[in-house]
Amino acid sequence: MTDRSKAVVLWLLVGFSVVTLSAPTAVIIGASLTSGKIVTFPPDGLSLQWYAQILGAFDLRAAFLRSLYVATVCTLIALPCGTLAGIVFAKHRIRFRKGIQVYLLLPFTIPLIGSGVGLMLVFGAGGLLGSLWPVGLACCAINLPFMIWAVAGSANALDPDLEKAAANCGAPPVQTFLTVTLPAVMPGVITGALLMFILALNEFLVSLLLVDSRIVTLPVLIYNSIRSIITPDLAAISVVFVVVAAMVIAILDRLVGLDIFLKSK
Amino acid sequence: MRHYSTAYPLSWRIFDAVEALAKRVWPARFAPWLPYLLLLPALLVTGLLVIGLIEIADSSLHVLDKATFRSSESYSLENFERALTASLFRNIGLRSFLGAILVTAVTLVLAFPYAYVLVRTESPILRKLLLIVLFLPFFIGQVVRAYGWLIILGNEGILNTSLSFLGIGPFRLLFNYWAVLFGLVQTMIPFAVLMLAPALTAIPKETERAAESLGANWIRTFQYVVIPLARPGMVGAAIVVFTLTLTDFAIPAVLGGGSNDFIANAIYDQFFRTSDAGLGSALTLLLIIAGSAAVGVALLLVGIGTLGLAGHDDD
Repeated sequence: MTDRSKAVVLWLLVGFSVVTLSAPTAVIIGASLTSGKIVTFPPDGLSLQWYAQILGAFDLRAAFLRSLYVATVCTLIALPCGTLAGIVFAKHRIRFRKGIQVYLLLPFTIPLIGSGVGLMLVFGAGGLLGSLWPVGLACCAINLPFMIWAVAGSANALDPDLEKAAANCGAPPVQTFLTVTLPAVMPGVITGALLMFILALNEFLVSLLLVDSRIVTLPVLIYNSIRSIITPDLAAISVVFVVVAAMVIAILDRLVGLDIFLKSK
Repeated sequence: MRHYSTAYPLSWRIFDAVEALAKRVWPARFAPWLPYLLLLPALLVTGLLVIGLIEIADSSLHVLDKATFRSSESYSLENFERALTASLFRNIGLRSFLGAILVTAVTLVLAFPYAYVLVRTESPILRKLLLIVLFLPFFIGQVVRAYGWLIILGNEGILNTSLSFLGIGPFRLLFNYWAVLFGLVQTMIPFAVLMLAPALTAIPKETERAAESLGANWIRTFQYVVIPLARPGMVGAAIVVFTLTLTDFAIPAVLGGGSNDFIANAIYDQFFRTSDAGLGSALTLLLIIAGSAAVGVALLLVGIGTLGLAGHDDD
């Protein structure tokens, strides 16, 4: 029962998790580089042919652009909604605070399938199914607490005296907001916007419920395809997700530091 | 006039105009209501989900008329009766609940040491690597990850091919219950670690050292000091993992191959295969009640503050 046995047990379990978490990503990158026609192991050889293939594949490219559009719409809606709500939660004393908080956390407490089905019925009744922007709005509705959380975190760190000082120097409310409050919460705004963007880009279930065959997003297209035959061009397009995810992680690390997720309250 | 405009730059005039407009739209006497105005966009967007719940509830009360394939006009609870009594749904429900319990247990066993090493390691590089390993799959999305597992676990996948070199196999590793549970554990580890890590950060290192200096070995230190102190995080992680697993769609759909459906898959089938929106809505509502109850308990036990919206702790 020495420190040695502790290290061995901990590292065995952590090692298993690391392998399990990383294996699918590693395998997809490997499969995308095969020169064979199907995904085999060991690979038939190395080539970038599947990347050339996906550049020419109209349906893959169109689905990717649709996913980008959905993620952009989602982020553009989330920016004002989440920023203002985050600032209010950090800075203002409001009545029914607890109640409003519970209400704004509904997207996390309602299971995704419930939110998706509900939005499908709402958009169906409104005749909005079949267009793409409601998918972006839906992605915003289900992930909004992330944006509010990120902005509130930044706003909490802002010394309220700074805003008072600005007002004291004669800055009216809008100017104070634009030149003091907003720049101070910018790291939170960018963090939240990045989270909203990548989660919308990846969103699968809600997309699946809201799109029809003419407007499939990329995760839905991949899902439909892997149920039939596994081809390496799907691995190549999946690598796009890996690259975007890696970029987002790098930016988040530079901006707020990944360690922020370890902090205790 | 020209002299005036150079002394008074354009940006100032724009600011003045904006302030004047703001005063017009929202006069000072409305100031106490400003926070609510600022909250309004978020309340409206979230309101979509509330309207969705109302639509689901309404739809669940209308039975599908088999003759005309339209929802009946009259209200009834028949859909709930079918959802709760049909053996198909009972089996799917049991499979989902049992799966959620098993996945929660295994995920916690794996996530606890991960979070512990993440928090306690002295090496910033190791910590960063562990965080990247954690976040990368989280940001890649479930479908792409499930695709990776198909390549690894397929009949001619990496694992079976490697085993055949050793003269074993091939094994049918995909499209069974265990594959689904394994895929779910992999999906849930990041959530559990992110819920556990702050709870472990809050435990001072000295507390552990004190236990050790009093003669406790590391197992007893974990058993009597670390795990009890980390309980709020454990409970939070367990309930988040439990509800996310219970309501998952993608992993059972891809790794289960159609014969290991969870509740969400059954709901999807009601809407898109049998076109019985009423029954689908009833199942959705039952799942939401089960899921929300679990999350509600979690929030009550560990406090809403865990999710970090609170600015003041004064209320």
